[in-house]
Amino acid sequence: MTPRRSVENALLAGPLVLFLLAVLGFPTLLSLIYGFSETSFQTLTTPQFSGLKNFRDVAADPAFWQAAWFSLRFGAITALLQCGLGLALAVYLAPLARRHGWTVAILIIPMIVAPAMMGLMYRLVLHEFAGPVPHYLYSWFGWSPSFLGPANVFKTVVVAETLQWTPFAFLLFLTACQSIPEDLREAAAVDGTRPWRLFWKIELPLMMPTVFVALFIRFIDGFRVFDNIYTLVGAGPGGSTTSMSIYIYETFLRRGEIGKALAAAILLFATAFVVLAAAPRLLRGRSA
Amino acid sequence: MKPRMTLRWIVFAIAAFVMNFPVLATLITAFKPPGEVARNPSLWIEAPTLQNFAAVLTVSDRLNVYHYLWNSTFAALIGAVLPMVVALPLAWAMVRRGVGRGVLFPLVVNLRALPLIIFAIPLYMMYSVVGLLDTRLGLGLILAVVNLPLTVMLLVNAVAEIPAEIEEAAHMDGARLPRLLFKVVLPLCRPALITTFIFGFITAWNEFLFGLMLTTRDAVPVTVGASFFFATSGGGVQWGMAAAVMVVAALPPLVLGLVMYRRITGSMVAGAVKG
Repeated sequence: MTPRRSVENALLAGPLVLFLLAVLGFPTLLSLIYGFSETSFQTLTTPQFSGLKNFRDVAADPAFWQAAWFSLRFGAITALLQCGLGLALAVYLAPLARRHGWTVAILIIPMIVAPAMMGLMYRLVLHEFAGPVPHYLYSWFGWSPSFLGPANVFKTVVVAETLQWTPFAFLLFLTACQSIPEDLREAAAVDGTRPWRLFWKIELPLMMPTVFVALFIRFIDGFRVFDNIYTLVGAGPGGSTTSMSIYIYETFLRRGEIGKALAAAILLFATAFVVLAAAPRLLRGRSA
Repeated sequence: MKPRMTLRWIVFAIAAFVMNFPVLATLITAFKPPGEVARNPSLWIEAPTLQNFAAVLTVSDRLNVYHYLWNSTFAALIGAVLPMVVALPLAWAMVRRGVGRGVLFPLVVNLRALPLIIFAIPLYMMYSVVGLLDTRLGLGLILAVVNLPLTVMLLVNAVAEIPAEIEEAAHMDGARLPRLLFKVVLPLCRPALITTFIFGFITAWNEFLFGLMLTTRDAVPVTVGASFFFATSGGGVQWGMAAAVMVVAALPPLVLGLVMYRRITGSMVAGAVKG
């Protein structure tokens, strides 16, 4: 490579690298320093090295493990529900969407609304006095569950997340479905293949890579959930809807345990790193 | 119409109604007078009124919605434009010369999958030292990070679609690199840049966690401002006004998204599949 070319390349990549270093590199350094120190908001400028104490505190905190378990369950269940529903809708509505494109626009409205707003909207919709859902349940069945009570709150947040992000899965599957060559379907129709068999034997196998991508993305987004749960119920009754993100947020801002919050964030980062490094290999292994 | 198609319309209508139900109910509530909400929570409005919107759009001691909207607009503009500025040169260098293909590109793309809270705490500490806490610029900078992965992916795709012959022809004509980038690559990438901007603007506008942590008063974005409205209204929540605030807050991205839905659906799919 000529010297001029390498100078050019440095100039081309430079802005992005500098930007990342400034906005993420330095904070990452900070979190490593403070994650291994004894700190509070009062002693922010004089952190005392404390080794692995913060990590031991996190590991000994049942709330941390409860949050990790919540996030795992929430991510897995919502990803499966969204992809199942999204796939069914996409395959079934594909002929409609092809002829009337605007129907797709109507179905993707939920994901253009801020998740935080969606959480607030569900607060209104489910409110026992002002909400239409309890109102109709009362007038039709004379009974309405306590949606945000300890017994139902997990189901409620799962349904809220699922209804908001099923459109994402729907959109991915719709695109995948429409990119299947039409003559494949026509050939199957000529052979007298029933629609149900067409789906299992031809469409689904061809869409399988998209299914894995969608499951993965939806799991990640479900795992790191914050906005909609926080605005709908906060940490939930007895901390029952404390996701990993909410746990770290509360540890930091509510309780001021900076070192502990950072230790939890570092653990989360390390886990995410391992998963992200392993995921492409797993996905490739499947398709091979 | 064939019966099979009629059934599809029915399924579509049910899916659209259920998934959009909170949005629909909020819109309806926003047009109910204050007394009606508690008495009549149904989807029917007895006495439609604009007074909730009038109250929300009037500046008062308790609420200045224009301030929130301006904060969101300013931060979302930085959050959408800055990543394009830093990503386009890299996208070209990567596609044409392989710069950053090994480490930088996977690093940036994987940012998409990390829980944002990891960066929120150290950023809070850094911002409090450098004076960026509770500023629109500070908020915009981190929103730019949020948008960076998708921006890089979309622009790399866009540059890769430019036929190499066009650039070679410009090169033959003696165009140097800056000229090539500004006169050839930039105009050819314009459709992708518009898509990226719309997508980034909507994402940045809708972001909540960083707005919640990094702003307190001066730079509060509208997503966070709307949630104050639920928490701080003493006795009961004024549902009509709260609903009107939410409609106002959700409207800019919705309008942008629906007008341009063909563009953003395409880019969302591209981003997901390449990631």
